[in-house]
Amino acid sequence: MMKNRSQNKMDFEFGIDSRYSSKEERDGDAIILMEARLKRMKNLSKEEIIRAKLIQLKIKMEECLSNDHKNQSQSFSQFLAHYVDSMYSRRNDFARDLGVSPVILSQTINGHREPSKEFILRLMIHSEKVYQSVTKFNHEIWYQIFLNEKLRETMEAEDSWKSELENEVKMPEFIL
Amino acid sequence: MVVVEVSTGKRLKALVLPVEANDFKSLNKSMYFFNWKEERGYEIYKLIIVGQLEILGLISFEKIPFEWRYHIRLLSASKKNVGKQKQYDYVIGNLLAHVGKIAVADFGEMACISLKPKTAIIDHYRKKYKMQVTGSTLSLEVPELINLINEYDHDEK
Repeated sequence: MMKNRSQNKMDFEFGIDSRYSSKEERDGDAIILMEARLKRMKNLSKEEIIRAKLIQLKIKMEECLSNDHKNQSQSFSQFLAHYVDSMYSRRNDFARDLGVSPVILSQTINGHREPSKEFILRLMIHSEKVYQSVTKFNHEIWYQIFLNEKLRETMEAEDSWKSELENEVKMPEFIL
Repeated sequence: MVVVEVSTGKRLKALVLPVEANDFKSLNKSMYFFNWKEERGYEIYKLIIVGQLEILGLISFEKIPFEWRYHIRLLSASKKNVGKQKQYDYVIGNLLAHVGKIAVADFGEMACISLKPKTAIIDHYRKKYKMQVTGSTLSLEVPELINLINEYDHDEK
């Protein structure tokens, strides 16, 4: 019914009513479309798949930064894992390319070790070069993600550190 | 994202944001095609110029996760932004690219956005946005979807 009501609007070049009019129409189209898509997906090159995964990572990282730090669901280590696994079938190969030990990489990806400043700087250099042929990429984003995460962790633990430190922080007289 | 003022060629920074309850007051039939209130149960986004309130275009869509697909339900530029007298260009491309970004963020290389337009305008969308035609459905998938995102998702003036 909705479709009929706005049928006349579809004559405009930039007005599209694309709503399905029935479940049958929707299901029928879905089957045909999926069959065609699966065939096309088989023809995707390795480079096209890597490119898509890297764009996916960039979008997710930007989304993470644009959200309130309290609502971030993904961490630096998860983004790092996405980055590595998009391009390398073995994480050790990435560790070699980055010039860090496989153990350090593994511990960082698994959240058992905080990335050092040098680790992040190496990652920034690596990703800047990788993304050159993919899309515009602000390599500082790795540092921003890391710092945002530290801020989030700090504020989430406020109840514990505040009660511990509050008595040790003195105020000037005019505040009292 | 940017839109181009047709009369001057000036490029202006634009944003795609979720439509809020207050926006429905301005979404009247004199300025916009379709009854957008019918879409309240779905995700609806608007395109605006940074620092301005006027809505240049709208898009509503639904997520079909088991098909790695976002299906666009309604898509339209405002009445002032269609045809030869339109004020701003790139309205539709920016809206499509935004849904494309959401799809790629969720589904990576499997991502797809789809449309089911009237036959007469299929050719326009196929040519302009490099969409695939499957039966009566138009779709954008990787790698063309990535190209669309790269084309529109930047702030270069």
